[in-house]
Amino acid sequence: MKKYLALVKLLFVQQYKARAVYGTKKKRAGAIALYIVLAVCFAPVVISVAVAMYYMGKISNGNVYIGTFFTLMCQGLVLMFGVHAIMSNVFIVRDADKLLYLPVRAHVIFLAKLTVAYLNELITTAVTLLVVLLPFALGAHAGVGFYLMLPIALLLIPMLPMLLGTLVAMPLSALVNAFGKNSSVKTVLRILIYAGIMALYMYLMYGFGFLTGSDGSIMDDPEGFITSVLGDFADRLENVMPYFHPDYMLIVGMLATDIGTWAKGFALSLGENLALFALVLAASLPFYRSMLTLSVEDGASRRKKTGKEQYKLHNYGAVKEFMLNDFRRTIRDAQTGFQSFAGIIMMPLIVVLMYFMLGLTSEGDSSFLDLMRVSDLYQVIAPLVILVYMSFIGVGTNVLGLYPVSRENRAVYILKSLPVPFDKILLSKVLLATAVMSASNLVTCVLIVALFGVKWYYGLAMLAVMLLVGFGAMCVTTVLDLKEPRIGWENFNSGLKNAKNSWIAMLISLLSGVALALVSVPFILLYALFDGGWYFVLLMWLFDLALGVAFAAVAYKVMTSKSAKYFERIEV
Amino acid sequence: MIKLYNVSKTYAKSMTKAVDDLTLEINKGEIFGFLGPNGAGKSTTIKMITGILTPDSGTIELNGINIADNPVAAKSLVGFVPDNHEIYETLKGTEYLNFIGTMYGVPPAELRSRVEEYAALFGLTDALPDMISSYSHGMKQKLSIVAALVHEPKVWVLDEPLTGLDPQSAFQLKQLMRKQADQGNTVFFSSHVIDVVEKVCDRIGIINHGKLVAVDTLENIRNNDKVSLESLFLTITSDGESK
Repeated sequence: MKKYLALVKLLFVQQYKARAVYGTKKKRAGAIALYIVLAVCFAPVVISVAVAMYYMGKISNGNVYIGTFFTLMCQGLVLMFGVHAIMSNVFIVRDADKLLYLPVRAHVIFLAKLTVAYLNELITTAVTLLVVLLPFALGAHAGVGFYLMLPIALLLIPMLPMLLGTLVAMPLSALVNAFGKNSSVKTVLRILIYAGIMALYMYLMYGFGFLTGSDGSIMDDPEGFITSVLGDFADRLENVMPYFHPDYMLIVGMLATDIGTWAKGFALSLGENLALFALVLAASLPFYRSMLTLSVEDGASRRKKTGKEQYKLHNYGAVKEFMLNDFRRTIRDAQTGFQSFAGIIMMPLIVVLMYFMLGLTSEGDSSFLDLMRVSDLYQVIAPLVILVYMSFIGVGTNVLGLYPVSRENRAVYILKSLPVPFDKILLSKVLLATAVMSASNLVTCVLIVALFGVKWYYGLAMLAVMLLVGFGAMCVTTVLDLKEPRIGWENFNSGLKNAKNSWIAMLISLLSGVALALVSVPFILLYALFDGGWYFVLLMWLFDLALGVAFAAVAYKVMTSKSAKYFERIEV
Repeated sequence: MIKLYNVSKTYAKSMTKAVDDLTLEINKGEIFGFLGPNGAGKSTTIKMITGILTPDSGTIELNGINIADNPVAAKSLVGFVPDNHEIYETLKGTEYLNFIGTMYGVPPAELRSRVEEYAALFGLTDALPDMISSYSHGMKQKLSIVAALVHEPKVWVLDEPLTGLDPQSAFQLKQLMRKQADQGNTVFFSSHVIDVVEKVCDRIGIINHGKLVAVDTLENIRNNDKVSLESLFLTITSDGESK
C-alpha cells in the first residue's frame, strides 16, 4: 500500500511539474488580475448553463431520467477527454524504464496510473457537477439526501467514463501501437480516433437532446410549451436511461424523498461501479503488461538493421527548416503530436454537426436551416457569425501556437545557441501554427460553402480574415509563452495544455470575435435599413480585413521587438 | 580566441553567484581544459560563451566579436557539444544534421562530405537514418560532436564531452581536438577526467564556487608545485570548499 501511495503521489505531482525558467525576480500580481478578467468573461456562459439546469430541474420536477441524462452528459465529457489521457498516460507507456527497475509489481504501477487518471477526471467531474447537477437539484428542490450523497456522487461519477475509457483505450492503443515505427501515422490515427469519439458523443447527446414534440406555441404559453417539450423528452429517455444502471440508481437515490430508496440507490450504484471496476481491472491488467514489455523493447526495435542506408542532405532557408523541423518533432511525439493537432478537427466537426442539427425536420416541415436561408440577411450574417465562431474556436484550440517555446522543453537551449536571430525563430513558429490553423479554416470554409450554401466569395473573405486574425493571435500567444516558458514538464497534457496560456488564448479569441462583431454590426444594420445595398457588405468585409491586417501587423511588431529580451531571460 | 572580462552570473532563482568576476583569455590554436567540482560554475561559463545564458555583468568576445553586441555572428563561430543529451529525440540523425547545417549556412555538398567524414570517424553512419530516440547515450553524444563540427567552427566548446563515449570514440575525439587546435582554432572543454585533461590540454583553469582559482599551462603547474594535477586539483578545490 505504501508503495502504491508513493507511486500515486509521484505520478500525480510529476505530471504538473514544469518549472518557470524566466530570469526575473519580480512577483507577478498580474496573473491574479488576468484570472479575474477571465472569470468575468466566461462567467456569463457558466451562469447561463447553470440557470438553464436550474429551470430544467424546476420544470421537470426533478425527473430522474432527465437527471440521469445530465449525469451521462457530464460523464460523456469526462470520457471524451479521458480516453486520450488514459491512452497516453496509462497504455502508451513512456516511463517504463524509470519504473520497471523499482521493487514494485506491475499491477501496482498499473493501479497507481489508473488512480492518477481517475484523480484527473475527478477535477473535470467536480466542475460539471457544480455547473450541471447541483443547479438541477436546486431547481428540483431536492431533499437533504441529495446533498449528503453529493460528495459520493463526485467520487462515483468519473468511475463509469474511466472504466469505459479503459475498455475503449485498450484496442485503440493496440491499434496505434501496431503502426510501430511510424510515429506520424500514430498521431494522425489518434486524432482520427478522437474525432470519431467526439462525433459519436455529439451525435448521441444532440440526438437525445433535440427537443421536439409540442403542438402549442412558445409565444402563447411559454411554460406550458417547455413543460410539454420536456415531458416528451423524459418519455424518450425513460426507455434508455435505466440501461445506464449505476448512474440511474445514483440519481434515483439522490433525488429520493425516502431513506429506503436513498440507501438502495446509493448501495446499488456503489456496488455496480465497484463490480465494473473489478471487471475492467481484470481485463486490462494483462494488456497493460504486454504494452509495458513492448515499450521497453521499442527503442531497440526501432533501430533498423538493414546496414548502410542512403540518406538525403539538403539545405532549405532557416525559417523553412525551422518550420519543417518543428512540425516533424511535434507530430512524431506521442505527447505533443495529439495535443497540438487534435484541435484542428474541432471546427469542421462542429460545422458538420451544426448542419445536421439545423437541417433536422419533422415530417413535411422545413428545417431551421431552410427557414434561415430564405432571409435576405442570411448571406450577410451567416458568414460573419461563423467567422466569429471560427476566431473563437480556432485560436483557443490551436495548442501548436500556445506553447511554441515551452514545447521545446529542455532542448530550448539549442534555439538559444544557434546563430539565427530570435525573431526569425519565432516567425517560423507563428507561421507553422498559422498554417496548421489555416488548414482547419480552409476545410471549415469549404464545408460552410458546400453545406450552408454561403456564397464562395464570402467563404474566401472569411478565410482571408481568419488568416490575418490567426497570425496576429499566434504572435500574441507566442510572445506570452516566450515571456514565461515552462520547461521540464513530463506530461504535456497536464503540465502545459491547461496552464495559463490556454486561458489567455481563449480570452484573445473571445476578444477577436467581439472586435470582428463590433466592426461588422453597423454595416449589417445599414444593409438592413437601406434595403440591401451590396456596398455595405463589401465595406463590412473590407473593414474586417483592415482590422485583421492591423492586428497582425501590430502583434508581429510587438513579438519581434520583445523576442531578444525575452529569449535572453530564459535560464536553462 | 575566447576572451571573458569580469563576467558574473547569478541565476534568477538563486542568491549566490554561479560565476563570479571571471576573467580569462584562451588563444587561437590552444586546447584549454576547464576543471572544477560539481556546481563550480563550469557549465554556466560554457553556456555564457555559447550564448545560451546572458551574463549579468562583464563581456565575452569570440575572435574579437562581442557576443552581446553581435550574437548571431559570434554564435556562428562556435561549435557546441552540450553535457546533456537533450537533442531533438523525434528527429532522425540526418534530419538533425540537416537542421544544424541549415542554421549555420553550410552548403549541402560541404555538409554531405563533412557528415560522411565525421559520422564514419565515430561509427555513426549506419545509425543516421534512424530516429534519435532510438540512440544510446554514447550515440547521442557522437551525434552532438558531429553536429558541432559540420560548420568547421573557429571556437569549439565541449562540456564533459567524453561522458558515455566508447574508448575508440574517446580517442578519436581527443585526436580531433588536437587537429582543431593545430588548425588555429580554439578548443575549450570541461571535464572531470583529470587524466584526459593532462594528456590533451595546453593550458588549464580551475574554477571553484564560481571563481577562477588557478589558470596556467600544465608545464608550469607541474614545475611550480611538483605535484600531480589531481592532487593540485583536490587541494585547491577542497580549500575553496572549506572557505
